[in-house]
Amino acid sequence: MLKEKENIGFKGGFNLLDTYPLRFCNIIERISSDGIPEVFEFRVPAQKIQHVIVNLCPTEPWALPNWVILEHKTAAFLNKLKEIKTRYFPEASYSIAINKKEDEPNAAVKNYAGDAEWMKVFAVDAKYPQDDPVILLKVVLGIETNFGQDTTTQGVLILDAQTVTAIYENCMLGNKVDSRFIALSGTGLKENEIINVQLGTSLEKILRNRIKESGKYRVFVNGPLHGREITDLSQKMEWSINNIVVLEELDQKVMFPMFKSDELVLTTNMLGELRRCVYCNFCDDICPVGLEPALYYHSYKRGEKHKASLYNLEKCIECGLCSFICPSKLELLHIIKECKAL
Amino acid sequence: MDMKNILKPLEPILSKSLDRVESFIHTHPKVDFLFGAIFGAFDGLLRSTKETTRTQPFIRNNYDVKRFMGAVLVALVIGWVLPALYFFGWQCVVSRLLVSFIIGVFVVDVLWAIIAREDHISEGGFVTCLLIPAILPPQSPLWLVGLGAALAILFRNVLGGVGNNLVNPALFSRLFLTICFPSLLVTGYQMPFVGMPDLHSFRYGLDAVTHATPLTAFKTNGEVVSYFSLLVGSSGGSLGETCRLALILSGLWLIKIRVVNWRIPVSYLGSVLIFSVFLSLIMGKAVAPPLFQILSGGLILGAFYMATDPITTTYNQAAKLIYGAGCGFITVLIRDFTGLPEGVMYSILLMNLLAIPIQSLMVKIRYRT
Ligand code: SF4
Ligand code: SF4
Repeated sequence: MLKEKENIGFKGGFNLLDTYPLRFCNIIERISSDGIPEVFEFRVPAQKIQHVIVNLCPTEPWALPNWVILEHKTAAFLNKLKEIKTRYFPEASYSIAINKKEDEPNAAVKNYAGDAEWMKVFAVDAKYPQDDPVILLKVVLGIETNFGQDTTTQGVLILDAQTVTAIYENCMLGNKVDSRFIALSGTGLKENEIINVQLGTSLEKILRNRIKESGKYRVFVNGPLHGREITDLSQKMEWSINNIVVLEELDQKVMFPMFKSDELVLTTNMLGELRRCVYCNFCDDICPVGLEPALYYHSYKRGEKHKASLYNLEKCIECGLCSFICPSKLELLHIIKECKAL
Repeated sequence: MDMKNILKPLEPILSKSLDRVESFIHTHPKVDFLFGAIFGAFDGLLRSTKETTRTQPFIRNNYDVKRFMGAVLVALVIGWVLPALYFFGWQCVVSRLLVSFIIGVFVVDVLWAIIAREDHISEGGFVTCLLIPAILPPQSPLWLVGLGAALAILFRNVLGGVGNNLVNPALFSRLFLTICFPSLLVTGYQMPFVGMPDLHSFRYGLDAVTHATPLTAFKTNGEVVSYFSLLVGSSGGSLGETCRLALILSGLWLIKIRVVNWRIPVSYLGSVLIFSVFLSLIMGKAVAPPLFQILSGGLILGAFYMATDPITTTYNQAAKLIYGAGCGFITVLIRDFTGLPEGVMYSILLMNLLAIPIQSLMVKIRYRT
């Protein structure tokens, strides 16, 4: 069954894919771990699952693109999903969220959906953070959920493409799954590539010979917007790591920054001076959940951190867009986290 | 793209020289004391900052307050400086701009940075100094322009600089001048030059006679100037308010690049229109006709460039609508029911003061606190 409401989606957000497109080399190298690799395990949630959402809509340019799993195999992929459905969650409803601009998988999924009554297809705008659980649940199912809450407690299971194939391999075919695809990109690397890496491999081994020799760099997993920084490269590869971004640590002044957005945005430079809030409304226009982040900053600056919670603070999904866009370079997300921690 | 390629070979040389100047300044405390602030502002316009991100998110958009203000400067040059050069002559415009910038930025702002030990002057002062000549009569004495710029910058700095202004500093300074030198602000309005520019037009204005502005003319004898001349700028008024066409076009550009929030000009002009239509219906010819109200005086300049001055408005966007509507209401009240011909300055200053209560009221309503 096909579902294509034109107005599906949410207000705010930012189309990262179109603004800062990244290209990956399509030769996939395999990296094996030195020790005994860890294996993927699928734990069936304790709660009864009523809805399964398959997220085929990565919204960050540095995230693992769909083609790695789906290229020319979309129908086979959906057949696997069907088998998983029969085995584990036969009564659940199935929703596929797919980027409406990706022609090939889009056509394949819709074609398949024509005679598959058990699934619904949602062609969505791939603006960031459409694939965040809170937004996904709201846009696809119309269910409200809180940031940080495990969605399975509400009977919703969210799967990405790679997890679907891993469940199939592991639980249906009984094969051991001990590696996964990840995307490597960033201004600190020689080239952007996709690799297939065994779980348990150290990040140091993954990045060896891939980082540019000159200059300083910093390493982030799961993206520079809401991911975390890795300072200790002996950390091991886990299933939850979707991508590694290595950014150039640009700690010097650059001439004429106004003409160089494309090269500068993917570095760690602040690209501006810290100023006071100028009421420009960039932060509330971009906020995907309709908050007014500057209010938290104002409370914080007046020394009234506790007042921040009056302004729907708990709704914030920590996507980082407000800090990203703020022309005064205010650390809005940092302030939000501090206020939340009270 | 082209711009980038032209500048490319120059970049390393320029950057190195700037680095050298910077380290020279920093190693000589006395030089730093005198020129550090100016260098900082100049360097900041050409180069990015050194700081890198320390907290999530680790990338930031390539857009900062400097470019924000830069866009306002460009729009003001297109909106009033270029038309004024034609309508009032080079000599009149350039001398006023020079006086305003030299006194405002290079004397008062730099002195303040030195005294208050700030590491650089802020580009917000450029906008203020570009507005000061625009809101004074074309033939006002140069010392008045200088005094206006000095007061505006001083006033802004005393209240804590960009990001802390209670009211629009340029308008506040003009209010001050209106109180101290009332006669100087009602004279000095000349008819703009029209026709083919020649050598004489270069010096146009030096010998021109004072003429009533359209709003004053309406107040005294009910005369309504042609709308066309109001739109293109061939009627009298303050130096920067006459060519409404250019002001509207550059204002729309600012709205498009989101430096100006459309809510303020739209609600300001909209409420002027609504209230004046309403009053015209009840009182007929006793009040100025609606379209004349929109196109006369400093309304267009005020609605696009002064009521929108970032920090003096409200943060909440619904409150911005109320703020703009309030400006429009007060403008019409003053124009139609007081002895004053023009009310834009008072209305914006008054609403600047009301912005904080409106903001907290709207936040209270929205979050039910
Ligand atoms: S981090 Fe929170 S407040 Fe900021 S844009 Fe994202 S959801 Fe909104
Ligand atoms: S984006 Fe930054 S400067 Fe603009 S309103 Fe929000 S907090 Fe203030």
